[in-house]
Amino acid sequence: VNRFRLIVLLSLTAGCLSLFPSRESCAQDLKSLAAAVPRLAAGLAAEGPDATYDRKTIFDYIDGGAEVYLAYDMRGCLSRRYAAPGEPAVVLDLFDMGTSADAFGVFTHDREGDPLDVGEDGLSGAGWIRFWKGRFFVSIYAERETAGAREASIRLARAIEAGIEEKGERPKILGRLPKEGLQRQSVRYLHSHILLDSHIRLSEENVLGLGPDTEVVLSSYVRKGIRARLLLVSYPDAARAAAARNRYLSLRPAGGDSKKGVASEEGKWSASAQAGRLLAVVLDAESGPLAEALLKEAETLP
Amino acid sequence: VRSTGSGISRRDFLKTGARIALGSVAGLALAGSSSAAAAGKSRVVLIRDREVLDGQDRIRPAALGEMLDGAVAALMDERDPASAWKRIVSPGDVVGIKTNVWHYLPTPEPLNAILRERLIGAGVKRENVSADDRGVLDNPVFRRSTALVNVRPMRTHHWAGLGSLIKNYIMFVPNPSSYHANACEPLGAIWNLPHVRGKTRLNILVMTTPLFHGTGPHHYSPRYVWPYCGLIVSQDPVAADATGARIIEAKRRVHFGEDRPIRPNPRHIVLAGSRYGLGRSRPEEIEIIRLGWNEDSLI
Repeated sequence: VNRFRLIVLLSLTAGCLSLFPSRESCAQDLKSLAAAVPRLAAGLAAEGPDATYDRKTIFDYIDGGAEVYLAYDMRGCLSRRYAAPGEPAVVLDLFDMGTSADAFGVFTHDREGDPLDVGEDGLSGAGWIRFWKGRFFVSIYAERETAGAREASIRLARAIEAGIEEKGERPKILGRLPKEGLQRQSVRYLHSHILLDSHIRLSEENVLGLGPDTEVVLSSYVRKGIRARLLLVSYPDAARAAAARNRYLSLRPAGGDSKKGVASEEGKWSASAQAGRLLAVVLDAESGPLAEALLKEAETLP
Repeated sequence: VRSTGSGISRRDFLKTGARIALGSVAGLALAGSSSAAAAGKSRVVLIRDREVLDGQDRIRPAALGEMLDGAVAALMDERDPASAWKRIVSPGDVVGIKTNVWHYLPTPEPLNAILRERLIGAGVKRENVSADDRGVLDNPVFRRSTALVNVRPMRTHHWAGLGSLIKNYIMFVPNPSSYHANACEPLGAIWNLPHVRGKTRLNILVMTTPLFHGTGPHHYSPRYVWPYCGLIVSQDPVAADATGARIIEAKRRVHFGEDRPIRPNPRHIVLAGSRYGLGRSRPEEIEIIRLGWNEDSLI
């Protein structure tokens, strides 16, 4: 039986290698996903062939935003444009982010909008519908907001959602976020210092030593009307986490290393703690006890 | 000693004459030279005309031409725009107009056409003027250029904070992404490359319909542009960008009802001055000349 299993395994592996050269080969690819999406939606028809972009050519397509997708390790993008007389163009962009964690992450880069029941965490606003599912981030953007464009966009969104076979999982580090008072729409998942700077001003320099091998989650809390922000960073090892905390503390007012944190001149509290590979930083807390509680609940304080 | 439009004194001009001659037949003052840093202030002209746009935010070329002429004359301390243009370029110059073709908010084509007309009117041969963006490294006029005019709309930018005049030169390198580190902070280095250094005669930050907030897959939504109807003109690209950045910050404050700093911080602007010596970013070092419509100028 074992010999039979081995033969089957080798055959499957060989099949994947010969048909698909990339390492994501056995999974669904962008072109097969696009093939499942109708080329006609609510009167809008796809124009021309689909355009595809890799990590180099994405700069030709997204001038100014490509680095955001690359910071989440984008593997590829497929773009299709829909048009109809009297209607604005609707642009469908499918991004293969390699992992569901990074599909979730790039989705969290911009969370403006109203919830829309499509895919995972679907959002809609200003003519832009987007969601993540599996390792894909899906963006459908109407260049002007009309009823026709919206109907077409929603139909496309539903077709794509149905066409993505995998569901995907949120990054595990989200499980370290305290539940009470968490503002779910505030959650950002990222790796890069520049992306963190897009959401909160911590330092001009990359003081936390963030990079592709670090996982960062930033979130906001409100408890009994008192606000705070919590930043969690997971490093590959405890030494890097400790070094990052030391660099961070060197930029803070004296006393910032106490468990209860330290108040700024504006009356906002900051506090930090490290436990193993995890660094937790509380920022802009409106009370010291809230800062301390968040650190404890993130299991970085005893 | 009378200050020239760029804030470069005649004495400074003479001091730097040798270097200037490398980039200009007539020895005209150049933005980005260290001589700019030696003077007290950088001059920036902010000109606005609400009639520059029609009811659908389309450019009215005649009004735009008048704005540009007015700004250049004020910048150069000349009553007559033609005289001002002749101080910016000379007949022997080969001039590249570095535009920006970003699909959602390009340099307005009427402005490119007006610039060509003005440069030719100042004596530059028609075949020695070219406007380009993505193709500057292969464009024969740019390859033998003695002068550059830098013109682009201001917009927020996902990675650099702002799409600025400083950033507009990124197409002068074959590997733009290698200048993207730390929110594009090394962009100023491009201005000091041999084929760029000291050539820029004029910087025009187009503020007709600036983008003050980015959203969407391409960082653009028509919700976040507004008819500011302005141009910011300077020989100091850092001062022009810093002035535009202040307006964008102010617009964000008004629109969102709270302080919403530009993010990521467009540090490349300040660093272009402090690290690369291309100009001045601090408000107290910038002389702003305001012309035209002043309502809601935000600065």
